[in-house]
Amino acid sequence: MRTNITELVQDVGNLVTLPDVFVRITRLLEDPDSSTADIARTVAQDPAFTLRLLRIANSSFYGFPSAIDTVAKAISMIGTGQVRSLALATNVAESFKGLPNTLVSMENFWKHSLYCALIARSLAKQAGRCDPDALFTAGLLHDIGELVLFNRMPLQARYALLLVLDSGDELPVYQAERQIMGFDHAQVGGELARQWQLPEMLVECIEHHHEMPPTLRYPREVALVHIANSLALMAELNTQEPDDAPPVEPNAWSLTGLDPDAARREIIAEVQTSIAEAEKLFLGRAS
Amino acid sequence: MAAAPTTRLPLALPGFEQIKRGWNIAYDAYSARLNPGEYYVTKNDECIYTTLGSCISACIRDRATGVGGMNHFMLPVSADDQGAKAAGLSLATRYGNYAMEHMINDILKNGGRRENLEVKLFGGGQIIANMTDVGKRNIEFARDYIRIERLQVTAEDVGDIYPRMVVYFPATGKVRVKRLRSLHNNIIVEQENKYLHDIEGKPVGGDIELF
Repeated sequence: MRTNITELVQDVGNLVTLPDVFVRITRLLEDPDSSTADIARTVAQDPAFTLRLLRIANSSFYGFPSAIDTVAKAISMIGTGQVRSLALATNVAESFKGLPNTLVSMENFWKHSLYCALIARSLAKQAGRCDPDALFTAGLLHDIGELVLFNRMPLQARYALLLVLDSGDELPVYQAERQIMGFDHAQVGGELARQWQLPEMLVECIEHHHEMPPTLRYPREVALVHIANSLALMAELNTQEPDDAPPVEPNAWSLTGLDPDAARREIIAEVQTSIAEAEKLFLGRAS
Repeated sequence: MAAAPTTRLPLALPGFEQIKRGWNIAYDAYSARLNPGEYYVTKNDECIYTTLGSCISACIRDRATGVGGMNHFMLPVSADDQGAKAAGLSLATRYGNYAMEHMINDILKNGGRRENLEVKLFGGGQIIANMTDVGKRNIEFARDYIRIERLQVTAEDVGDIYPRMVVYFPATGKVRVKRLRSLHNNIIVEQENKYLHDIEGKPVGGDIELF
């Protein structure tokens, strides 16, 4: 089965690629001889990303007290690793335009992803001991396998969705996919992240956001994305009723030390007010 | 583990044998699955469920005997265009009346009494932005019908932007309405458009733009 997923992901290699600016920043961060000034120069070579970066740095997303008017200042305030995360986050929706499908509108797909990203970031701040901006990226990418499946296996993916509706929405989508295809979108997304050589933390969050095995290297981060996915659906459906969303494994709450009721009550309302601005910052046109 | 059925599939009332039914693990009961354009009436302790986009479902039961049913319909869109409005009773309204009357008649035929009927109303969502709000039109029709027939609505969840999964137990009147995530929008719209084309007597893939 593993080979099937690998081949499936290799097939899309030409259709969707990592954003150039992200790849270049990654290379610089791995090079011990490079400096922050090199990263600033690389960012400045991409005017669209520069604009987005400055816009985000000056938005309530970070809420810095003073204006950030240069890339260098943005990097010093936000951090190089975080700027790299943003290089991926602000370009990923554009990258996946190479994988169109008829099952879900890109707008609806990325809105759910963005909800998950905002919630994962917010939960990470509350839980502590992990990087909120990295969790944001993990949330944004958690369902990318779905776009691969919808594009490469549209008939099977469609049949899986019909199975979910036929079950009265009791059968989770990923389990329907396993029944039809033998694997699910989380595994496909994880494999794509692996072939892209994204950090192991992102690979684990994407691959295991539905079911958490006991052997994870990043159990806290995976648990945060697992919880965020459920809360993102509650935010989308505008409900406070946990039964309306996929169940959260009890283990996820204990791993993160978060309180289920407080998380649902506070964070859902919080992201519902910030989603519109975030959509403009991350998914809107750069110019 | 999945609970096995405790009894055999109860007989469907005459005329409803073609409705798809099976054991529902989540509700520990037999369930009938409605597609757009279908309705189902039962005297059994079983549930009826369906998925609604801009279509509407009336769930109607006799609160004394428990006989009841669910329909799933929408008004044809193009039928109202010309002439029909002048006739007072448009083709669309006639289609809606048909969907409501047939179910109510079957409930009455199977021991229901008109004065005991209670109605619950679901659906009519606007799940695709920038499209004519056909859901609203379906809601207005259903409300008008219920008012004119002097029936009583005891619960409703209509309108808004979400597709819905509705599960109804006529024997007790219990309903579970679940909003569905937008991942399901396109398939639901596609199914409802196919149904719309059928009732308008047009070939599927005709001149109506889906998106």
